[in-house]
Order: sequence, then C-alpha cells, then structure tokens
Amino acid sequence: MKMSGSLLRSAQTPVLLIGLTALIALVGSVAGPTVTRVSIVALVSVVFVAGQSAFTGNSGVMSFGHVAFMAVGAYATAYLTIPVGLKTVLFPDLPGGLGFLAQAQAGFLPAVLLSGAAALVLGVVTAPVVARLSGLQSGIATLALLIIVYNVLNGWTAVTRGSSSMIGIPRNTTVGLALAFAALAIVVSWAYRRSRSGLQLQAAREDHWAAVASGVAVGRHRAIAWVISAFLCGVAGSLYAGFLMSFNVSAFFLSATFAFIVMIVLGGYLSLSGAVIGALVVSVLQEFLRRLQDGQFTGGSPLPAGVADLILAAVLLVVLVKAPLGLMGVREICLPSRARRARRGAGGSPGEKAPEEGARVPA
Amino acid sequence: MSVDFLVAMVGMGALYALLTIGVALLFGILGLMNFAYGEVIMAAAFAMYVFRDQPWPVAVGMAVVFAVALSLLSERLAFFRLRDADPVTLMIASFAVSLAVQSLARMTVLPRAQGVSPTGFLTRNIDVLGASVSVRDLLMLVLCGAALAGVALLLGRTGLGVQLRAAAEDFQMAKCLGVRADVVIPCAFAVVGLLAAVSAIVLVWRQGAVSAEMGLQPMLVGVVGAVVGGMSNLRGAALGGFLLGAATTLLETVLPTGLIAFRDAFLFTAVILVLVVRPQGLLSGAKVRVS
Repeated sequence: MKMSGSLLRSAQTPVLLIGLTALIALVGSVAGPTVTRVSIVALVSVVFVAGQSAFTGNSGVMSFGHVAFMAVGAYATAYLTIPVGLKTVLFPDLPGGLGFLAQAQAGFLPAVLLSGAAALVLGVVTAPVVARLSGLQSGIATLALLIIVYNVLNGWTAVTRGSSSMIGIPRNTTVGLALAFAALAIVVSWAYRRSRSGLQLQAAREDHWAAVASGVAVGRHRAIAWVISAFLCGVAGSLYAGFLMSFNVSAFFLSATFAFIVMIVLGGYLSLSGAVIGALVVSVLQEFLRRLQDGQFTGGSPLPAGVADLILAAVLLVVLVKAPLGLMGVREICLPSRARRARRGAGGSPGEKAPEEGARVPA
Repeated sequence: MSVDFLVAMVGMGALYALLTIGVALLFGILGLMNFAYGEVIMAAAFAMYVFRDQPWPVAVGMAVVFAVALSLLSERLAFFRLRDADPVTLMIASFAVSLAVQSLARMTVLPRAQGVSPTGFLTRNIDVLGASVSVRDLLMLVLCGAALAGVALLLGRTGLGVQLRAAAEDFQMAKCLGVRADVVIPCAFAVVGLLAAVSAIVLVWRQGAVSAEMGLQPMLVGVVGAVVGGMSNLRGAALGGFLLGAATTLLETVLPTGLIAFRDAFLFTAVILVLVVRPQGLLSGAKVRVS
C-alpha cells in the first residue's frame, strides 16, 4: 500500500510535466504556422534540457558542452535523411573511409535513434574525463569539448561542408513527433533521477565526501548520467535538424549554449521540473523578444538587432542575483497531497519538506 | 630556430600570459571565472577604432580609459551583488554580462567588423641580429613584456600588490587582517581593465579590425591558460598562458597545412588532457608563488 502510494507520488511529476508540454503542443497544433514553429522549437528544447538535466540536475555539475551532442545528432540526421542523389552533389569528395555516408539512408524514426546513438558514442568517449572532474574544471573541460566539436565541424569541409549550410534535409519533425520525444525524454530523465544510480549521484551532489565514504562510486554514476544525457541531447539535435531542414554549424556554438543555460538556470538547474518549465518559459519569452525586436509592439519600427539578447542576459542576471537556484530550486512539481495538507492544517511538523528546502548549493 | 620566429613565439607567449593574468587575478580574489573579460578587451579595441584618426597616443590612452571604465562598471552592476555566490554561479553570471555587452555593442556601434588601418611604423621590418623582424611582432613582445613586468612590480613591491595577493590567497583571512574588500576588489577590476587594454592594443595592431565578437578568442585563451597553469597562484597562471601562446605558434608552424584548420581542436584536446592528469593545474602542486 505504502509502496504503491510512493510510486504514484513519484509518477506525478513526469505526468504533470508531460501535461504541460502537451499543452504547448496543443496550442501549437491548433494555431497558425508561426505558433506551430514556436511550439516545435519549445518541444525540442524540452528534449534537450531534459537530457542535460539528467546530468546537471543529478550531479550538480554545470556543463557548457551539451550543445556538442546536439550538433552530432543534427549532422548524423543530415547524413541519414538527405536523399542520396542530393548527397552525392553535396559531398563530392568524401574521404574513402567515409564513403558509406553518401549511400546511408534511414527512415526518420530510426534516424533519430541512430543520431542519439552517435551522440551517445561521443558521450562514452568523453565520459572518463567527466567522471574525473567537477566544479570549475568540469565547466572548462565541457567548454573545451564544445570548442573541439565546433572546430572539427567547421574545419572538416569535405565531410561536414564546413561553414556552408547543410541543406536538403526533409522536414519530418511534426508537433506530434516532437511531443512524443519530449515525453520520452522527460520519462527517461525522471526514471534515471529515481534510479539507484541517480539517487547516489544526488547524494554525491549534496555531500561529495559523505557519499564517497558510504561507498558511492561518484565517477561511475556521473559517467552514466553523462552518457544518458548525451543520447537525449543527440535526439534533440536530430529533431532540430528535421525541423529546420537546413542548418549551419554556427547554430551549435556559444549562443545556443547560452540560450539553453538561461532555460536551465531560470527554472532551476537541480530540478527536472525546473529545467522543463524553464525551457517552455524561455521559448515563449524568446518569441516575444523576437517580435519586440521586429517592432511589433513599438508601432512597426524595428529595434536594433541584439535587443533580444540583451534582455535575455538581463533576465538571467536578475535570476542569478535573486534566486541562484532558479524558480524551482531543488523542488519538483507535484499535486498538493491530501495527507500533507491535513497535517499542515493541524499545524503538523514541516519535517517532510525540510530536507529538500535545506539542501545546500553544491560547491 | 630563426630570430623572427622566436620573437613571434615569445611575443605570443607574453600576450597570452597577459590575458591569463587578467582572468586569474579575479579568479583568485573573487572565485570569478570572468567570461566578460573578452568584452573588456573589445571595449578597448572599440576606443582604438573611434580614435583611429587621432595621434596614436590618444587612441592608446582612450583604450585604457574605456577598458577600465567597463571593467569597473561590470563589477558595480553585476558582480557586486554576487560576491558570496559559488564559482559556477559567478561563471554563468559573467557569461550573461559578456552577452549583454556584446549585444549592446552590436546594436549600437559595431553591427559589423570595422577596419582600423595600422599606423605607418607598424608595417615595417627592422633588422635584429641579422634577421628581419616585423615591428609588429617586436612591439607585441616589448609591450606585453613591459606590462608583465609592471604587474610583477605592482604585485611584488606596492602595498596594494600585497593586499591583492593576500586577497587572492585567502580572501576571508585577508579581510580579518584589515584588507578592505571595497578597496581591493575595484582595484583588481581596474588592474584587469588595464591589462585588457594592453592586450587589446596589441590585438588591434595585429588584426587591423574591430568587431563585436573579437573578445571570444582572447577570453578563451585567458580562461584556458589560467586553468592549465593552475589558478591558485598568479605565476603559475602566467606560465600556463605563456606555454599556451608558445604552443599555438609552434602548432601553426609544425602542423601540416591540411590540419591547420584543426589547431583549436588539438589545443583544447591538450587542455582536457592536462585537466584530467592534473585537475589542479600544471604548477599548483609546486610551491611557486609570485615574488
């Protein structure tokens, strides 16, 4: 009885989060094409932040490198879904060992999963580094990963078209598909959070040495989280490519990283609910700012380019000063339970919430 | 090794060491990994562009003023409120400051890159020890070397320097011993602005152009050099920057032309390896301290 109750309670959060994203998807599917576009981008962002949250939220280690996984996913999708005829034109001088890329072809759904797998391979390769580092060093190492991937994609012209755009990707990402993957990402991220490995990682986040002393292999769990989040971010990149139809390597560098960091920090980077809500809120905010910049609210006169970025940066600064742990902190959204309300009504102990609210900021 | 190559390599090393110290100083005192450092450099370079028709001492002077002003302003507006925050929060905040300044620049004065034609004497070559060395490389070496010596003097010989070093060592303890945070922190930001201005002058002379994004590369160099060298002491950080600069020049010469596009990939792979093998930085374990 108690067991099923706790299971029910812990299933609340993903269900509520999927409900929220479904709401965005619903708005996107009934409204005009502009809103549809915004809602698909928001759903893809949800996939990404749910992925990054699997690592950042559980380990408390901030990463600036997850956009690299997104880039790998997007490029893999490009190779797998651009029609073969067009590919021979786009990549006339593939080096011998990679000739198979010109012939490779897959349906969109397998392509999404294969793209996730490609990002997962990069995740496995880099996992030993992440397992060893934390704090600032990890921040720098993940930033270095982003720069390396960007540099290779930008420089390897024969294979990646360098700084020219990747074109001719068929549009496959619909609102429904994006919603399905957003739901999947939320479920996977939540399942990891509640798994043995995820809980041990959270314990290490709260007190590294206590966790180590209790026999938690922090590095191993951090690597597991890293690989899972790499897969989900690769899926996000694949969906993004399938939505944009053409993209440029500059889409996967610092400005994208910054946009996702705003989402995660605004919502609260330690909580999955925070990341997802942040993604939805910031996606809407970005669209609002884009319209502001185009002059839709100022009588048609466009504001200079950069206003949107400036406001976004200001929002982030205010959040960091006022609420460093974001809107959600370490909490997850859930329905107010009857038992707890009853206890509170009777002036009962706040003990049940205390450990959550007392959780300290990881150093 | 020819003389001109040596001058270029050491000059680049000195420039990178300068960039690194700018990052490491603030990190030591505040725990702030300053991504907005590149934008301070951009502000100085912007001054060089605005005053490009004036005699060069005016341009150089204004570059210093702009950089110091922006550096102090960023402290007052953003980092002042985050003094007790943890390093990662500070890092994200500086990311935001960097983006804000960059978009400010883009929406007002630098929507696209602007050329700054080099002053006449910069394009000449002169003879040093029988080899022809470009004045540009030589000036980079001299200017950055002088700035490094200046920093070493400031930190080693002046009262302010002692306070700065004490604060970088252990800010809590320094405060207890009478180092005033409200004096030391703005001073540190001012010194950083000054160093950024010197780097910016050299960079503008080398690139001949100013753009809103020009701060990125120097900022990355500073951050990476500081991490590689070890951030707990300034001399280690400077050495890290120097090695990075020398390695960059060396890679450009040694790498086959087909791989030159991947210079950054090699460099940052090396950075990751250093982090994995010695997360505390190359020099941290050895008890090397400034002065």
